[in-house]
Amino acid sequence: MLSGAVMLIAILAAPLLTGLIQRQKAFFQGRPGAPILQPYRDLRRLWHKQVVDVSGAGIAYVVAPAASAAALLAVLLIVPVAGTAPDFGVGHDALVVVGLLALARCLIALSAWDTTSGFGLMAAGRELTFAVAGEFLLALVVLTAALPAGGTDLPAMWLGAAGSGIWAHPAHWCGLLGMLMVVLVETGRQPIDNPDTHLELTMIHEGPLLEYAGRDLAYLQWSVAARHWAVLALTAGLFLPHPAGVVAGIVVVLAWMLVLTAVLAVVETTVAKMRLLRVPHLVGGVGLVALVGVVSWIFGVAA
Amino acid sequence: MTAVPITEAVAVDGWRWHDRVAGLLDDGLRFVSLSGTPDGDVRCVLADPERTVVLTTAPAGGRVASIIDIVGAAGWDEREIHDRTGIGFEGHEPLRPLLRHPSATSDWTTPVAGADVHDVAVGPTHAGIIESGHFRFHVVGERILLLDPQLFYKHRGLEAAAAGASPELALRLAQRACAACAVTNTVAVAQAIEDARGAMPDAELRRARTLLLELERLYNHVNDIGAVCAGIGFAMGNMAFAELKERAQRLNATLTGHRFLFGTVAVGTSELEIDAAAAAGARTTVAGIGADAAALWADVHRNRTARTRFRGAGTLAHADALALGACGPAGRASGIDDDARVASPRLWYDGFAAARPEAPTGDVAARIGLRVLEIVACCAIIDDLVSAPITPGRVRGGNVDVGTGVGVVESPRGRTAAIVDVHAGTITGMHLRTGSYANWPALAAACTGAILPDFPLINKSFELCYACVDR
Repeated sequence: MLSGAVMLIAILAAPLLTGLIQRQKAFFQGRPGAPILQPYRDLRRLWHKQVVDVSGAGIAYVVAPAASAAALLAVLLIVPVAGTAPDFGVGHDALVVVGLLALARCLIALSAWDTTSGFGLMAAGRELTFAVAGEFLLALVVLTAALPAGGTDLPAMWLGAAGSGIWAHPAHWCGLLGMLMVVLVETGRQPIDNPDTHLELTMIHEGPLLEYAGRDLAYLQWSVAARHWAVLALTAGLFLPHPAGVVAGIVVVLAWMLVLTAVLAVVETTVAKMRLLRVPHLVGGVGLVALVGVVSWIFGVAA
Repeated sequence: MTAVPITEAVAVDGWRWHDRVAGLLDDGLRFVSLSGTPDGDVRCVLADPERTVVLTTAPAGGRVASIIDIVGAAGWDEREIHDRTGIGFEGHEPLRPLLRHPSATSDWTTPVAGADVHDVAVGPTHAGIIESGHFRFHVVGERILLLDPQLFYKHRGLEAAAAGASPELALRLAQRACAACAVTNTVAVAQAIEDARGAMPDAELRRARTLLLELERLYNHVNDIGAVCAGIGFAMGNMAFAELKERAQRLNATLTGHRFLFGTVAVGTSELEIDAAAAAGARTTVAGIGADAAALWADVHRNRTARTRFRGAGTLAHADALALGACGPAGRASGIDDDARVASPRLWYDGFAAARPEAPTGDVAARIGLRVLEIVACCAIIDDLVSAPITPGRVRGGNVDVGTGVGVVESPRGRTAAIVDVHAGTITGMHLRTGSYANWPALAAACTGAILPDFPLINKSFELCYACVDR
């Protein structure tokens, strides 16, 4: 019941995470910064603004924002914050989450092909290139968490990661490292991408968004926030220490998510964006570590 | 006391133009500028520490021999003259438009062909608060094969407005060319006017102007290091150097009443007064900025993620820098041992030596590293200058009525030259060739072989001014 309530609240609370990260970044960088609720103000402003369409753009451009927001909405209904979670009719399969995240990415990329904007295409091309490494990593990380649970049912994986026993397995440590990299890739944050940049030539995730305005942009900004919620909830629920109880588990998972926003803020302040062509090396390298984790589990390596 | 440098004016027949320029280059003079005169002639200025030579030729049948085969740096100058006056340059093929913006891209870009080659167009309107400029990248994937920049979007006619103006108005117009180089541009023009009149600044005037120039360099250099950090999303470095820039600009306001040092330079005189108390305060502030810049740079340099981005990015090879006439920090970072301050008899740089990078690798790292070195020197010069009070200065001499004068000043971005014609107290012609103008072709060359997302970083490591070309 409680976990279901939190999952529904997440739909509204997701922008709070991006607001928190921005606020903490401003603090670490010595700026006054925008209030934590700024993402909500932006969404309200955009929601009431006129939509300006790219002339000549087709169905992919029109559908992409709402469709990607719908995909992320489904992700929020699938990803639990506790070991027992109500079924909202979309199940709890981790592989569906992987698929939906990929679908949202693909939709945005298609919108760029539709508008044929130079910056959008360039950025979408980069996004898809990195997705090859990023989705490989995400799949491995899911596998690492699925092995102890014996399946890809997320509540079962959540329970499998609860308590201290799991930390005896090196696979879990490798999975945690992989998951942290997934967080950077999926949230589009430094050193992979820079969500605050105005430099079009360096953009990855932001590029296709340049062509959107008004309500469409609101959908996309909410999608980014929802992506933050989903990957941070997965990180905390599947790879960070938490108790098996529902109430205590939810409290601890939410607390971890707050800690992770601070970590992202610190990383984004102290780490420069890496040279674009090196990103696949980094993501792929971490993917190899995750692969070692999976292999170690299969061979029953335990401390 | 340094002798008054000699400016010789020489009229050259069209058929001897190329050879005369070549001959002066062989004598060790360096190219300063190429421009059109008020009379419709073409003028080339060359100089060495002892003398300045102003060669003038009348176009025969609307054409003059091109000198780009011996002075690669004159490429933009010849294109500009052609766009402004229609004068053609024999041997400069193709003579692409520079100021004029033809509608067909192929009319102004370099043809690039091959498998998977495509163009990426950026600007002229950008997402940041910067001036207008269009960049056309010819790329394969992320790799830049060639960059064709198209600037000159907001021509203001400052030089045309200066023709017929009083020296004071001409100076104010030159100041408006660019805020970040306001002192450099006005000192160059003031020097050119004084040179034309045969006047020489006294010690007080030289000290005051040198102080202003170094104050300008200080706030520019700390700003540019912060901008490079912003180019890689490195917030810590960006914010820290932005704070240093603010301190430097507040010092400007305290000493001169203006954060950008506007209105501090005048022809033939200086009203700047800094008493012992203000000087002591300035010394403390400058010492603090210098020490903090060094410490912050050490922090930035220790950060591996930042360091690896700077290294090897946007390399300007020594040969390219030499051929294109790269100057300022960009030229010095590529091993061009040149700084206008070394031979500046009209300023107070006795015993000055150009900063030399540890390794002239010509990449972003070298360009920032050089600025870090220059900040140290800059703080030392300011400290030395304000160790005694700054008092009003004047020029000596200055009874020549008609003449052409040249002023060369090292700006934070490179060599800035002003050529001014004076006739009975009126300016009849003014040409400003700033360090930014001189370095834009070098920036384009540095981008070849780089990857597209590195362009903002490379661009910021030059930190050239768009407004400086929109005179």
